[in-house]
Amino acid sequence: MPSIESTDVKKLVIACDAGMGSSVMLASNVKKQLKGTSVIVEHTPVDHIPADADVVMCHAGLAERARKTRPDMVIVPFRLFMGDPAVTKVINAIKNGGTIDG
Amino acid sequence: METTFTPTVEGAGVKATIQRIGGYLAGMVMPNIGAFIAWGLITAAFIPTGWIPNTKLATLVGPIITYLLPLLIGYTGGKMVHGQRGAVIGAIATMGVIVGSSVPMFLGAMIMGPLAAYLLLKFDRAFEDKIKSGFEMLVGNYSIGIIGGGLALLGVWVIGPVVTHLTNWMGSGVHSLITHHVIPLAAVIIEPAKVLFLNNAINHGVLDVLGGAAAKGASHKSILFMLEANPGPGLGVLLAYWFFGPKALRPSAPGAIIIHFFGGIHEIYFPYILMKPRLILATICGGAAGIAVFSATGVGLVAPASPGSIFAFITETPKGDYIGMFLGVIVAAGVSLIVASALLGFGRGPDVSDSEALTDAQDRNRKAKAESKIAVPTGAL
Repeated sequence: MPSIESTDVKKLVIACDAGMGSSVMLASNVKKQLKGTSVIVEHTPVDHIPADADVVMCHAGLAERARKTRPDMVIVPFRLFMGDPAVTKVINAIKNGGTIDG
Repeated sequence: METTFTPTVEGAGVKATIQRIGGYLAGMVMPNIGAFIAWGLITAAFIPTGWIPNTKLATLVGPIITYLLPLLIGYTGGKMVHGQRGAVIGAIATMGVIVGSSVPMFLGAMIMGPLAAYLLLKFDRAFEDKIKSGFEMLVGNYSIGIIGGGLALLGVWVIGPVVTHLTNWMGSGVHSLITHHVIPLAAVIIEPAKVLFLNNAINHGVLDVLGGAAAKGASHKSILFMLEANPGPGLGVLLAYWFFGPKALRPSAPGAIIIHFFGGIHEIYFPYILMKPRLILATICGGAAGIAVFSATGVGLVAPASPGSIFAFITETPKGDYIGMFLGVIVAAGVSLIVASALLGFGRGPDVSDSEALTDAQDRNRKAKAESKIAVPTGAL
């Protein structure tokens, strides 16, 4: 499983099926929480994750597609669109330092 | 059963493949939903039975659905395969099937756009090293012109008529489902597929195409736009969680309800079903009941409701269909709420709510914490 030091994270991508609905919602949430950090937060369709993304978050039901698109990328699956511990963990790691595992 | 949190209905690889193909179809339509909505609003306003009938402005209705919408789909489909060049040739090829047919060519556009772009991609790959310096632009433009023009001719003569038959055939299939009152059974497929993240694939990959063809008819509306997008069934499940769900999850329900019902992001309720998969029965029953009401009252929407918000339903309901529309949404929510509440044991009884889902959630939290302890070096948290 790939992993990344949180200090190396420059771009965090949140992916959903179409890249237009739920990912936009979560991305705007995460953006607010990461205000003040230099991390760029983007939302994309899960089949079009940009190559320069460092960490990808998507629902567990879509994680397999994300891994197929970007096999070497750190992909963090979550299950709840609000208050998921996996999402909180990534945000905390970026804010306070640590390793993010895919 | 209830502890399986992630959908594993089929072999995992199969699921991702179906999602991917469906996502591909939906991906051609979804970026263009704004144009569908413009068409729907113009239709609802200016057709003879609309809010402010206007024969001059109503002339927009036909050309938008005949030309603009299929061209946008073909353009987008081509772009997904081969960038800007693919987009252009996709639109040219789509024009062929439009002219060669008598029905809205959404299906034809979904075939011709990517196909044309794929052929151009193959051509470009084959010749990229063989073009003499200085001739790149000439070859680039004429390859699109010649291949695209040829595909447009092929579309007029062969593919357009074939897809017309295919579209008519599917349309009459759907029509007979509606006239024989079995259309509510569509919920048996739609609702489980939704929570497996096939929601866009079904709604925009399939139902928009069939609905668009149906909505070109005299009624200017289609029930097919309502099948997947109805926010009622999901609302019922979220309400049930709010009243009777595991105590730890109850506080999250009102926020989810706003996002789901008013914002139209249905994905927000999928996890609530995935953590107690038997609740799928609630959305199936709710969805079927809603469709039955829509069908019995003969209502439809003028364009796809996307996102599936109640506001989208309200703005795309034609004049005179409001009672049936609201009734269908309310009945769907009500039935779904009752079934979901029963499945949640009304918050008490031996099957006390907090059982599986919460312990499961706690397990995950514990596991996540344990993982973070291993993964995060000292001083990290």
